[in-house]
Amino acid sequence: MELTAEQRAILEGGRGPYLAQCMRWLVEWGEALGARRLVRCDNTHVLLCVPNLVARGASPRTLEAFAEGLREACRHAVAPGCVATVHTLFLTLDPLDVPENDPEQVRVQREIAAMAVRAGYLTTFTCAPYLVGNVPIKGEICAWTESSAVVYANSILGARTVRHGNESAIAASLLGLVPEFGVLLDENRRGTLRVEVRAELRHPTDWGALGYFTGKIAGLGVPVFEGLRRPSQDEAKQLCAALATSGGVSMFHIAGVTPEAPSLEAAFGGRVPEQKIVFTEADLRATYDSLRNATGDEIEAVILGCPHASLREIWRVAHWLEGKRVAPGVRLWINAARVSRSAAQDMGLLGIIESAGGLILCDTCPTNMRIACRRLVTDGFKQAHYARSMIGAEVIVASTEACLRAAVAGRWMGDD
Amino acid sequence: MIETVRLRGRAVVRGRAEGYALVADATLSFWGEVDPVSGRVIGKGHPLEGQSLAGRVLVIRSTRGSSATPMVLHLASLEGVAPAAFINVEVDSLAALAAVVNRIPMVTDLECNPFEVIRTGDYLIVDADAGVVEIHRVAQASGGG
Repeated sequence: MELTAEQRAILEGGRGPYLAQCMRWLVEWGEALGARRLVRCDNTHVLLCVPNLVARGASPRTLEAFAEGLREACRHAVAPGCVATVHTLFLTLDPLDVPENDPEQVRVQREIAAMAVRAGYLTTFTCAPYLVGNVPIKGEICAWTESSAVVYANSILGARTVRHGNESAIAASLLGLVPEFGVLLDENRRGTLRVEVRAELRHPTDWGALGYFTGKIAGLGVPVFEGLRRPSQDEAKQLCAALATSGGVSMFHIAGVTPEAPSLEAAFGGRVPEQKIVFTEADLRATYDSLRNATGDEIEAVILGCPHASLREIWRVAHWLEGKRVAPGVRLWINAARVSRSAAQDMGLLGIIESAGGLILCDTCPTNMRIACRRLVTDGFKQAHYARSMIGAEVIVASTEACLRAAVAGRWMGDD
Repeated sequence: MIETVRLRGRAVVRGRAEGYALVADATLSFWGEVDPVSGRVIGKGHPLEGQSLAGRVLVIRSTRGSSATPMVLHLASLEGVAPAAFINVEVDSLAALAAVVNRIPMVTDLECNPFEVIRTGDYLIVDADAGVVEIHRVAQASGGG
């Protein structure tokens, strides 16, 4: 890779050993992926989380060494002009009476969070930074962690980011640089797979089903949808999350809708393939069935807000719940960014949800926390997928309204 | 008697390491399918389920990337249970990052299909700097002795 004199000086330790290491990460990663140069980046979304139960049983020395790596990252200032928001955690900073919220790990995480703010990170602790003010504009080069947010940034906003890990996003935040490869380059943003949508998509979870179906087929490719209307932000959020769950998609286009696809031809860079995948009503139903493995109707939890709920979604839940009660023994948890919960509180929505027996969980989600659960209902394909594989829960994925009906009844009541 | 085979490949992440091969013509996600503390594959139904990655040369089609891949591999390295090297058919960008950060050599584009020439239990010397993988295998005892 060609480096400027200034970049080479940093690599050789001119700005200290930590920034030299950050530069090494970016340069060696870029070389591994065929990058020719580093380019300016002024928007990042980073991981600064202690592992909590991800490292259950690890030695105290490992946990301390890991935490020290995060502290070291936070001892250096974010590059001037760079917007750096922070991804979800594996725990919540709020008091929460579950054994999965390890108090010692919470203490260390709080300490790192305080250091992060001083370094210039905006500690949003969310998987949906675009809902809480980090909204890059078309063409903006970013370094984002969180695969669903990467898909949203590239596809819906027309910004440019590859899928980052914690070290690369931190290095990008401190140096204001990223290696140029993947979807940062025009030629890798063209469609590779044509998908015609014939099914009617009625609500955000249906858009998740389309994403879950397509991600499996698309792999690392760039799907192009035709026959789709403009999604709402909440619908787009579900589509992005599901595409990145069943596949390794970094971006997609909707012909005639998304910023880089004024037409089907434009989405493919000129040559539209003859061959196409068709998504039918039968595929829609089969995709739901593929993430419904419950062996009974009694449920323990209803999980909404995967990815983190928008203010509009919180409003809808509160509006639906007003005057109702969540069934005893059922947890109704809506995952959201702290910013959104504060707004919901000011608007009186949090009070309605809590009076009904629900909870807005901030900083994280139950699956990230590894909260044990035997059977749950969720409106997010991503949550259902990971709850099934990571905590071994039986899952039912359904529309938000069907989830809320189940929460109040204490049992799965069917789709409508 | 030890048989030795030398194969050329392309370095993705430089370095040199050796260890016994663990081979599966499959993909593997470090996030969710590998326990960073035991170093074992925990993915239900995965062909390597229950196997330890510690010190092994992991020969798989590719890893499946997640933002948390480098974190899982970092924790595994701190616990001393990370793989010694990767030999992959396709390169996943987040696994490449994890390998860079944790200084684990990674090689791809071997001159022949690794699933045909490398078996679990072969002893491999991976020299990513030179772009060479050496396979050492105890030869089966044959009638001719």
